Amino acid sequence: MSLEPQELAELKLNIGRDPTSTELQIVAAEWSEHCSYKSSKKHLKMLPMKGPLVIHEKGYDSGVLDVGNGYVVTAHIESHNHPSAVEPYGGAATGVGGVIRDILSAGTRPIAILNGLRFGNIETDKHARWLFKNAVTGIADYGNCLGVPTIGGEVEFDDCYHNYALVDVAAVGFGKKKNLIKNHATNGDLVVLLGGSTGRDGMGGSQFASDSLESEDRSAVQIPDPFIEKLIIEAILEARKQKLINAMKDLGGGGLSCAVSEIANTLEVGIEMDVDMVHTRESNMHPDEIMISESQERMLIITSKTKLKELQKICKKFRISCSVIGHVKSDNQMHVKKGKKTFANLPTDVIVNATLLDLPSKKPVYLKTIEKEKKLRPIFDYSKIMMNFLAAPNIASKIWVYGQYDHEVGIRTVIKPGHDASVLRLDNGKFLSVKIDGNPKQCYINPREGAIGCFEEACRNVVCTGAKPIGMLDHLQFGNPKDPEIFWTFLESLKGLTDFANHFKIPCIGGKVSLYNETPAGPIKPTPLIGVLGLIDKKPLIPQRISDGDCLVIVGDTKDEMGGSEYFEYIHKFIGGKCPSVNFVESKKNMKVVLKVIQSQLLKSVHDCSKGGLAVAISELCMTNQIGCRILLENVPGEKLDVDRILFSESHSRYLLTLDKKNLKKLETMLKKSKVSFKLIGKFRGKKIQFTKGTKSIIDLRVDIAQKTWLNSLKDLVLHG
Amino acid sequence: MKVGVVVFPGSNCDRDMYHVLTDVFNFDAQYYWHEKSLPKNIDAVILPGGFSYGDRLRAGVIAAHSPIIKDVQKMAEKGIPILGVCNGFQILVESGLLPGVLLKNESLNFMCKWTNLIVENNKTPFTNQFKLHAKIPIPIANGEGRYFVDDDTLKQLKKKNQIVFRYTQVVNGSSNRIAGVCNEEGNVVGMMPHPERAVESEINPVDNKPSSLIFESLLVKMGVTN
Amino acid sequence: MATFNVHVTIENKPGISDPEGDTILNDLVLKGAHKTVSKIKTAKMLKFTIKEKDKKAARSKIQKICDELRIYNPMVSTVTIDVFNA
Repeated sequence: MSLEPQELAELKLNIGRDPTSTELQIVAAEWSEHCSYKSSKKHLKMLPMKGPLVIHEKGYDSGVLDVGNGYVVTAHIESHNHPSAVEPYGGAATGVGGVIRDILSAGTRPIAILNGLRFGNIETDKHARWLFKNAVTGIADYGNCLGVPTIGGEVEFDDCYHNYALVDVAAVGFGKKKNLIKNHATNGDLVVLLGGSTGRDGMGGSQFASDSLESEDRSAVQIPDPFIEKLIIEAILEARKQKLINAMKDLGGGGLSCAVSEIANTLEVGIEMDVDMVHTRESNMHPDEIMISESQERMLIITSKTKLKELQKICKKFRISCSVIGHVKSDNQMHVKKGKKTFANLPTDVIVNATLLDLPSKKPVYLKTIEKEKKLRPIFDYSKIMMNFLAAPNIASKIWVYGQYDHEVGIRTVIKPGHDASVLRLDNGKFLSVKIDGNPKQCYINPREGAIGCFEEACRNVVCTGAKPIGMLDHLQFGNPKDPEIFWTFLESLKGLTDFANHFKIPCIGGKVSLYNETPAGPIKPTPLIGVLGLIDKKPLIPQRISDGDCLVIVGDTKDEMGGSEYFEYIHKFIGGKCPSVNFVESKKNMKVVLKVIQSQLLKSVHDCSKGGLAVAISELCMTNQIGCRILLENVPGEKLDVDRILFSESHSRYLLTLDKKNLKKLETMLKKSKVSFKLIGKFRGKKIQFTKGTKSIIDLRVDIAQKTWLNSLKDLVLHG
Repeated sequence: MKVGVVVFPGSNCDRDMYHVLTDVFNFDAQYYWHEKSLPKNIDAVILPGGFSYGDRLRAGVIAAHSPIIKDVQKMAEKGIPILGVCNGFQILVESGLLPGVLLKNESLNFMCKWTNLIVENNKTPFTNQFKLHAKIPIPIANGEGRYFVDDDTLKQLKKKNQIVFRYTQVVNGSSNRIAGVCNEEGNVVGMMPHPERAVESEINPVDNKPSSLIFESLLVKMGVTN
Repeated sequence: MATFNVHVTIENKPGISDPEGDTILNDLVLKGAHKTVSKIKTAKMLKFTIKEKDKKAARSKIQKICDELRIYNPMVSTVTIDVFNA
């Protein structure tokens, strides 16, 4: 670990002397991109963070939303990309562990996990398959053991992640507002390290995450221990119940260095600690190693002297180690000793305030020509294309993935994975709908519109369950920010998200930036991932079974927006074209009216129209309900388009409404009144998926055959290559 | 009507089970930490699901050595109704209270899905309200859920009416599609599927009434209802 | 050509934690009366049967298989290869 030369000079200037080696390690950890956000922080401020439901408290690692009746929901998102790219099982698992502890540190119980996974081309690349398979097992083994349900997420494959992995984990917590930890500390309070022992694993992980993969020494791997994490959860919640916790922080990137300096700085106190008091796994660890070890499953707690005994009793009951490693002082210094000898003594504000950068940005050259479409080979047999498409890794059902996650534990999961968004019941009679969405293919073609699209898609998904979006999490993943072209894409995405958040009054309640995501072949495509939480006051729309004679109505226009579509990229191997863009006015109107018709209980289900376009969305409805349909493409509202565009355009703001015929009149009246674009485009019946235009049959597939392919192709690919 | 819910380090369905017992069926439920002893006046004991000791070595084997298991064994001998669900079933098997063993699923993966059971024995304290061969939609969630016994033991189980639940279809490769068994006396029952996840209509996408009968059977057995 | 039995033991590298071994030690073995045990490490063993010209060839072939097919992940694990005459 090291500082850049100018950073070292700054540090010397700040403290008026040469730093010790331990001080250097501490500062290098805290000033790494991963911990300091030095490249992004200046710009992140543009996102709206306030809202009527947002609760701000000192020192929280997760966002907090007031969901009424004295209850709160907490949420956070993190990634574990670098570790997962070299050891997918442990990397993905410990990624879950980290974000769970962020939820815990607010004093709330984790109630759900979601994950977004991205890998290279698993059809051609054996290594990508290995990464995928092991990352899924890692998440399953960790989350299942904790008893926190993994309720949703997404999986995507793209050549830009060749030899790499993006593993994003979001977690949701729930608790009583009055039980939130109000972080505070006073002179003489004790600093306690609780949980797993500190070892040499994960050494320098935050630095590792801030370098590109080719240059790292690959030592920063952590071994997951979900059993200890589960015990930590129970011990902490018990301690919270007994009011034994004054302040709390999870040990994540940068280990003790970051946790101690950040908590002290936030609470405006000093902390003096002794590395000899830290329970270690190996003997003869150097103080520097102890300070920067990123061993998993550890929490830092500040408690009063009088409460220590009770806290120790709880730790003993749950058979987890806890050590008093130091105490709180009033001098705002972080003082690290080994026995009597001082190894570091720095002002906390110097440690936590890396100099923020204002990196140059420049519009990438490739964007000048990216929208130009190439001439595509003509398609004669759309049924055949459709069968290939349903087997494509990005389109095929992800049941092989979520079937390995316990998504029922906790008995809150009302709408289960495999639908648009999952829904949890809360103790106050309300329901929480959650979804995460990313779309690097579109973000590559237009970083601004692509990012907005992810945001709108996540909103659409929660709207489909009858929920009103109340908060957003963003995870911004890009390549090396020092490349001005990459930094430009970062800024564009951020500005887009900010505009959407402001227009829709959806506050950003938390987020994360992950930079330096580079593979030997170059930077990843811009991959912002957006999580949206939605609240349902009364009843969620649980999809009901579609039966013979039911109607299909589409809300929203289909446009000539094929850029970044699965159809272009998977079928035609073409990257380019016009990226779908969200019309804010239309988007809001559609969202509003869909929520309204859901509330009036006219519908059987609402399905979002996104990846793979209309053709895939309608086929999904048929396959999950095992029923055929007859769709008249000439009725699809929007511009006059060629057949392939109507079928596969990924235009936003579109919803598929299914309903009993008897409710059609009422629905049409409501939709007309709100002046949205809509149309009855077909009916469900029989056993075939049929799309026609005029008198011409375009797609004609047997539902059972399509379903078999769609359900099994991902599993077959993973297990048998 | 006192029901004990035994909690081991790593149990994670204890709170779900407690909620169902108290809020849905009005039992007087109590948690019992694995190092404590069970009171003499307890009327039924439930070992909930989870990952006791992180499923290390073999699911349930370490928890089977917990101090409280001696009390559970005594209760079992006295004929008190005992139910083990998922990891609880694994613990009952590992502590010798139930026959057989639970192996890794045939898929070698953790499986979380809804299945259908058939009631094969409606004489136990947890199945007395079912019609024989009644169907129960219910979820499973396990990695080591494949019940295995050798052919001779299987014959014995059939003869002594110890098979309580079978899956309607092959789910994980278990012997004779067995999902749950009981001891010879019938008072100790173990099952891999999770009844506590199926008794509330809000979270049951199929039908919550059949699985509710598992708890209602216990109420009848205890003479609370007829 | 002769037949050999080759045992491949895969375990975590020294210094990398082994939560499963620790749990078996602390929560099972040490809780019983067996206080002389000080460490338990978990490992996975694969038993190969292979035809090669000699022990050395058998060993190097198996090592190659383990490396090429990622039978173990060198990031966290090591393999020990023991060759026996069948």
